[in-house]
Amino acid sequence: MSLIDRYIQEVGRHLPRKNRADIKAELRSSMVDNLEDRYGSDPTESKVADFLKEFGKPREVAASYFPEGQYLIGPSLYPLFRMIAWIVVSAVLGAQVLAWGIAIFVAGESFSALEIFGSLLNSIPVSLGWLVITFIILQRFDVKPELDDEPWDPRSLPQINENEDIKRGELIFGLVFGILILVLVTFFPQWIGFVTTPGGKFYPNPVLIQHLGWIKVSLLSGIVLEIYLLWKGNWSLIPRIVKIAVNLLSIGVLALLVQGHNAWLAARASTGFFEAIEAISGIKDGGWELVGMQGFRLAFVIALIVTVIETLAMFYRMARGKIQTRTIKNLPPVSA
Amino acid sequence: MFNMMMKKTISEQYLKLTQELRRGILVLAALSQLKEEKYGYALISSLAEQGLDIDQGTLYPLLRRLESQGLLQSEWNVEGSRPRRYYVISPEGSRTLVDLASEWRNLTNVMEKLLDDISSEGEQNESN
Repeated sequence: MSLIDRYIQEVGRHLPRKNRADIKAELRSSMVDNLEDRYGSDPTESKVADFLKEFGKPREVAASYFPEGQYLIGPSLYPLFRMIAWIVVSAVLGAQVLAWGIAIFVAGESFSALEIFGSLLNSIPVSLGWLVITFIILQRFDVKPELDDEPWDPRSLPQINENEDIKRGELIFGLVFGILILVLVTFFPQWIGFVTTPGGKFYPNPVLIQHLGWIKVSLLSGIVLEIYLLWKGNWSLIPRIVKIAVNLLSIGVLALLVQGHNAWLAARASTGFFEAIEAISGIKDGGWELVGMQGFRLAFVIALIVTVIETLAMFYRMARGKIQTRTIKNLPPVSA
Repeated sequence: MFNMMMKKTISEQYLKLTQELRRGILVLAALSQLKEEKYGYALISSLAEQGLDIDQGTLYPLLRRLESQGLLQSEWNVEGSRPRRYYVISPEGSRTLVDLASEWRNLTNVMEKLLDDISSEGEQNESN
């Protein structure tokens, strides 16, 4: 019976400690009963091996005793986990963007794109990791959320396609604005800048001129998407994904511009907004240039924050839309 | 080659479907046979004798689940050739069995009506 005992031991390895000894004893007793019934009291090793093969792999036999134990986060906890994971990722990203905005604009610090990417690569997995650990513990203690017990009214279900229609006016405004900016940066790049003193000389923004290529690519991709949406008349999955990709490109270009302005200002020892204001009074030379560049940086930081929030909202809407569509498809037939 | 693969897939699919169908009646079958106490393998043999083959890997966990739900009671008996765990239906299990049996009869009546056309189609195919 050594094969049987080795088999039982292997099944036991995959069973939870609670009830393990009891299940092993019952399994052994039942298996020996079955073997004796089939092959008598002294079966050959090959007969036992055949019998065990038929019985199933030890891990699978163990799993059939505790189907819930096969999940790190089981089906009853997963919807809650997914909802909280979205909230956590959005909150971490939002807090990080806010912190960068304050650090860059108020404290006058500068970050490289690599630093920003590195810190995101750290903060998001860490926060998600803690969330997963928390849910694994909840799963181990068999905690079940009571989200489904809330009463609900079918009439409160969201309207189908409500969010799918495009807002034509908004789209046309964005398109016209995008084309104007594209024409400006393509044919009159020397006009992008500011007047250094009221009625004085015009100062082209050197950072914008340096990154003109990327700015054009970003603007052009947005314009192409908006033309496609006007032609199609509604949102679907592919345009949503393309929109997110366009937004991610814009975030990259805006981050590049913010970083460029930081470097420009740092080279002139002007890292904070108040220093730039101070420079106007003539204590430092070129005060208006510093204020102008600070103004551009502020605009780009705001644009960056708005674009990040818009992209997160799109991610959220896409995920929510997917859940709703799945729920509608999976509805059981109506019973009386 | 393709036909062989298709046949294999269809037979695997059929096997899964029949397993699913049987899984639904296991609780009723097990409860019906445990008015007198039996150990796991004796229950399997008893059901097999009456024409219902049950996979052992399915039945043993099921018995434990029914016990944890209060529908069965169990205790170890060390008097025979080896210790065995004996199961018997609980009072709550008996009440559930009556309800489930009634539900089963309703279902079989409905299913008989639903499958009536299919039986006559099968007979026609055989005669052709």
